Amino acid sequence: MSKKPTAGPALHKVIMVGSGGVGKSALTLQFMYDEFVEDYEPTKADSYRKKVVLDGEEVQIDILDTAGQEDYAAIRDNYFRSGEGFLCVFSITDDESFQATQEFREQILRVKNDESIPFLLVGNKCDLNDKRKVPLSECQLRAQQWSVPYVETSAKTRENVDKVFFDLMREIRSRKTEDSKATSGRAKDRCKKRRLKCTLL
Amino acid sequence: MDFDSPEEKEFPGLYASEAVDAKSKKSKEESDYSEGDHEKHSKKDLIGRRKDKKEKGKDRGYAALEGESSPEEELDTKSPSKSKKSKTFKFTSSKSKEKREKSRDKEKEPKATEDEPVQKVKDKDKDKDKDKERQHEEKEHKKKDKERKEKDKKDKSDKKDKKDKKSKQTQLEDAAGVEEVLALGYPIFGVSVSLATERSRCHDGIDLPLVVRDCIDFLQQKQSLKCEQIYKVEPIKTRLLHYKRLYNNREHDATVDELNIPTACSLLKLFFRELPEPVLTTDLVARFEEVASHPKVTEQQAELQQLLEQLPKCNRTLLAWMMLHFDAVIQQERYNKLNAQSLAMLLSPTLQMSHRLMVALLCHCTNLFPDVKLIKYVPPLTSTSPGLPDKPEDIQLELRKQDSLLSQIHSEMNAGFISKKREEQLWEVQRIITQLKRKLRSCEKKQERSIDELDSSTSAQTPAQPAPPPQIDTVSEDTTDSKPAPPTHITPAEEQLEEPSFSESSEIDYTIDKQTGYLLLPKTSAQRDELLRLQIEYDELMNWQNELKTRILAERNEVFRLKQLCEQEMLKPSVVGATSQEQMPGDGDYERIIEHYTRENALLEHKKQMLGMELKEERRACIALQVELRMQQF
Repeated sequence: MSKKPTAGPALHKVIMVGSGGVGKSALTLQFMYDEFVEDYEPTKADSYRKKVVLDGEEVQIDILDTAGQEDYAAIRDNYFRSGEGFLCVFSITDDESFQATQEFREQILRVKNDESIPFLLVGNKCDLNDKRKVPLSECQLRAQQWSVPYVETSAKTRENVDKVFFDLMREIRSRKTEDSKATSGRAKDRCKKRRLKCTLL
Repeated sequence: MDFDSPEEKEFPGLYASEAVDAKSKKSKEESDYSEGDHEKHSKKDLIGRRKDKKEKGKDRGYAALEGESSPEEELDTKSPSKSKKSKTFKFTSSKSKEKREKSRDKEKEPKATEDEPVQKVKDKDKDKDKDKERQHEEKEHKKKDKERKEKDKKDKSDKKDKKDKKSKQTQLEDAAGVEEVLALGYPIFGVSVSLATERSRCHDGIDLPLVVRDCIDFLQQKQSLKCEQIYKVEPIKTRLLHYKRLYNNREHDATVDELNIPTACSLLKLFFRELPEPVLTTDLVARFEEVASHPKVTEQQAELQQLLEQLPKCNRTLLAWMMLHFDAVIQQERYNKLNAQSLAMLLSPTLQMSHRLMVALLCHCTNLFPDVKLIKYVPPLTSTSPGLPDKPEDIQLELRKQDSLLSQIHSEMNAGFISKKREEQLWEVQRIITQLKRKLRSCEKKQERSIDELDSSTSAQTPAQPAPPPQIDTVSEDTTDSKPAPPTHITPAEEQLEEPSFSESSEIDYTIDKQTGYLLLPKTSAQRDELLRLQIEYDELMNWQNELKTRILAERNEVFRLKQLCEQEMLKPSVVGATSQEQMPGDGDYERIIEHYTRENALLEHKKQMLGMELKEERRACIALQVELRMQQF
């Protein structure tokens, strides 16, 4: 990351994960183009880039919208490996999708080999609160267990959409500064945890 | 095959070492990315051929020596007295120790990287020696095709004689170390045509290895064709090897590295020289030669044509492109002083064919490959490209390229080909695909809108009043007519079918048939029959559509049910007993059974398709008759 060839703004790579139909693409499109798509069309993989101003600093965000369906699990690893932060999305109206987050988390940790990778648990479709199937307390509990933030969003109303992306970017940014300190200075212990990255650097 | 390539004499050491690479990748159709299939055989191989182990031990030293021979020699008897061999061998002895350590380290790494070529070296080396023993010992194996044999051997060599492996690996590494460091075990040079094509695709659907395409593209430029240097001047050796490495490591970027004529020519030659088998294939090359010596030119062409059809598709494409390119070269004889004779003199050894055969191919090439055009390769767009195409067709085309590129990136990454650059590329390609898809969608929407506008404008022209009510009538009364599911929407095609007749009918009186809701024109009207026919046909087609829809639904339910069943079965512990029985029949039987079933299945699939088509036709005929029948009622 430190040797990014482009001398331009910093680039943060965000990956959307979660079961099919929870609204990963809807969140992404709402964030990217302020549009909400009603009709459902399964994603295979889509990627977007946007320039945003993060705390007064111009940065670029790369968003990779992945497939929720298991059918595409084979290519998932390739994407996960290059992600710097993850938005793990489920629908608060669908308990199965909430249960599935566990598996996604595990897969990410396995690929990244890093417990403290920037990660947000996102409960989408909060505009459908009357159809809620996953109690808020349960979501918060899981987030606490993973020690990650929990945010509820609505791609339809745009509630918290910017927040999740910006929060994640902040985490990625602080993580990167930490890393560059670690590589230039002492902290070798982190290196052990994150062997993959360090060999690259 | 008893010729001496001039380059070989100039750089004997270089060539001999490269030959290790060349020899190693004999495996013909084998794909990098399907690791699974050679594991299948491993078990029975171990059991079946444990007894050859000892004999093979004897051959080992011999085989190691062979590793140094060049591809041409491998077709001869293996005479150990060739002077070239000793040259690279010196390296081995001097460096072997440190190299061995290195190789040990490398073995710990995933097999997909360094190990692969090594294994193949061995496969190839042993191939020759073992073939004879095998014929004695296992006659039934004769029938097996080469590819299988190699896979078998690979498995075997995986399991045993580690020592042998190491010594070979050191040799290989020494050889490679002198000229280049292969970042990955997936070179483009020195592997079969199909493998090279698969590994570095042209993403526009033309099955040529990228390096060949790039070189031909470069040389096909007018100023290159006219240049007197073409195919005559040798390039700077380091430059040539630099390009070879770039292509082998897929680091080549046409915009950065500008080729020059000698390098492009030699790169092409190098590619052909390092092919493990002639482009005309070992099986067919003799027959080609036979045809080339045919006295009658007219018959020659037909026979060549016939042989060419037997070549693997990628070999044929490669040959076609080369020949058409050479043809373009000799077209410019006035400038480059090359005619068919002299060009064949220069290049036939490299292409592993006789002078006569090459001249024959050159002479007939435009007739032999009428379907092939040398099209300059436009690589998939990158983020630095000026902009995305605007026309839907162009977008589709670009999308196909990008998809091809993406799938190649994925398969390479799955095979362990992972680098920072590759990951960047993955995201970039994905981003371009997303943009293209969005653009395509917006184009489609625009088109739809313009069609809608067109429709509304046409309907506005005609007095619109009478048209809508009857349409509604037909629909609503259909429900009473005991139709399975009333059509709530009318597909555009059908709408268009009806509309003209409505507009014409608008000025004339019409009646509505009480029973069916059909619109009836007075008997005097010329369009009466036509309108009636269309309406009945519409009804029938709608019926059919509904019927098909319910069937699709039923199939979907079935799919869902089966999926669930599958999941349930997966949860249960698998039954192992059944498999052991299947392995009972001998290897040959097993093979034959598999072959039999694949063939049968393909046949059945074909039959099914034909029947499906027949069914459709019959149904259509039924509908036509039905329409006639109902016409009589009015």
